[in-house]
Amino acid sequence: MALLEVENLHIAVGSGGKLLPVVQGVSFCVDENETLGIVGESGCGKSLTSLAIMGLLGDSTVRITGGSIRFDGMDLLTLSAPERRAIMGNRMAMIFQEPMTSLNPVYRIGDQIAESIRQHQQISRSAARDRAVELLTLVRIPNPSERVDSFPHQMSGGQRQRVMIAMALSCDPKLLIADEPTTALDVTVQKEVLELMADLQDRMGTAIVLISHDLGVIAETCDKVAVMYRGKIAEAAATADLFAELAHPYTRGLLNSIPVVDRDVEWLEAIPGRVPTLEETLTGCAFHPRCALATDFCASRAPETSQFKPNHSVQCHFAGGSTT
Amino acid sequence: MNIINFLRNAFAGRKLATVGFIWLCFILLAAIFAPLIAPFDPLEIDPVGRLAEPGLPNLFGTDHFGRDTFSRAIYGARMTVIIGVGSVVVALVCGGLIGMLSAYFTRLGHFLMRGVDVLMAFPALLMALVLITLLERSVFNTILVIGIVYATTTARILYGMTLKLKGEVFVDAAVCSGAGHSSILFRHILPNLVSPLLVQASFIFAFAQLQAAALDFLGLGLPPEVPSWGNMLSEERIYVTRAPWLLIYPGLLIVLSVFSMNLVGDALRDSIDPRFKDDIAGV
Repeated sequence: MALLEVENLHIAVGSGGKLLPVVQGVSFCVDENETLGIVGESGCGKSLTSLAIMGLLGDSTVRITGGSIRFDGMDLLTLSAPERRAIMGNRMAMIFQEPMTSLNPVYRIGDQIAESIRQHQQISRSAARDRAVELLTLVRIPNPSERVDSFPHQMSGGQRQRVMIAMALSCDPKLLIADEPTTALDVTVQKEVLELMADLQDRMGTAIVLISHDLGVIAETCDKVAVMYRGKIAEAAATADLFAELAHPYTRGLLNSIPVVDRDVEWLEAIPGRVPTLEETLTGCAFHPRCALATDFCASRAPETSQFKPNHSVQCHFAGGSTT
Repeated sequence: MNIINFLRNAFAGRKLATVGFIWLCFILLAAIFAPLIAPFDPLEIDPVGRLAEPGLPNLFGTDHFGRDTFSRAIYGARMTVIIGVGSVVVALVCGGLIGMLSAYFTRLGHFLMRGVDVLMAFPALLMALVLITLLERSVFNTILVIGIVYATTTARILYGMTLKLKGEVFVDAAVCSGAGHSSILFRHILPNLVSPLLVQASFIFAFAQLQAAALDFLGLGLPPEVPSWGNMLSEERIYVTRAPWLLIYPGLLIVLSVFSMNLVGDALRDSIDPRFKDDIAGV
């Protein structure tokens, strides 16, 4: 049994009386010491999926309408609030997209780290502080014993993201969810942060769910990949298998739209059209209006998940078919 | 050290506000050491020396009972501070709790904030009058009534700010680290509200003075035997032609103190929110 199993997850946004589905039947699992990458355009439901796992969909307008999320054998969706609080931050933790705003501006960073430790462990203030210094060393903040007394505004974005990682790691979680942890950082810092996460995974055996819209980041850091499009997993496979043979035309489109340094092109290839809004009802495959391979059949029938290769699933009638 | 730096920043280049701050410090000292400063007992009646003119030994003269106006003014400062601090505490605690809880628990907020809206529909003085007629005249009730009146605006302000803070990522991060509701509200959100609360406190302190003086003047505030600036105005108003100093001194004290509190409040607000700075630059 995998550490995290998400099965047939449905999430809907309620506006007025009707519910608009934003995540439709997403399933994946992550094992210890494994990194799963979830890629997709804005609004494809990848962040909502991660928020659902962490139980942050408190708002009554966004609701989980079906499926199950199992963590270490427990069904997270049926846990009581105190049971959930005992797990969160302790055995599963999350790193957010915006390092600039995810730290409380009025507390010293050491106190914030110490607080997340003391939430779950009965240790003294000074012991928690020592642990905070230790964690800051671990995430390679220079001068940790001094920086532990810094306020968030005295640190750069990259440093703050490291503090967030330190905080997330404070109780040695088994699962770490990183929602675009490097999007707000520049490329060199991004590399350091990713390396740091990989390094910590080697050391602690943490399972990581890395959410990103950057295929390059995913290719470099993840063991397996799930590509999401409009609330569904279009294609999922081990990273090497996926990049060896792209089965879904959407994944191919994503990859083609990345500029390549050694190829001289006038225009970047883009996927035509845009992601259909939630209000537009679509029959058949959600990608068919933008797909070069689409036929009338695609417009009338939604593809089921099929095995393209062993351990490589895809939702497309023409999986592997050639396009430009 | 932080507070000293903060004050230095807030009053830098604001001469009038600095004077106001110093004046308030004098008022505070007078309130604390009233028995040492006041030359006479503020309640001691001297029928022979009624309505004496300002001079020696009665610096501000005497009132129609022959009580020393200067001593009464000093003890009045004590009342001013008690009423001000009391009202601020009541307003901030009640209003703050209502505002924060309403913003945090949205459904509860629908009920609480509608109640606050209803209370806000009444003019402040009118509501204070209604409440005080239901209660006995006492120092405590005056504080309570003024506190409740200003709790409504405090609730409104904190409601908005808590709503905004609730959406911040660090609150989500706190939820993720397993923090419960009370921990999020009071350990993560409340410390971010300290500066607006401080500003709010300074304005409530000023308004509470005006409100208390108005209630005293209408004979619905503090019991008449209590020496307060408002009571002094109220009791001696019929002697305005014979002994105008009886009204000038307490009136001046009220005006100067309220003006100072407003200046200090402005300075504090500007140092917290620099966007307002240009409006009254140099004040």
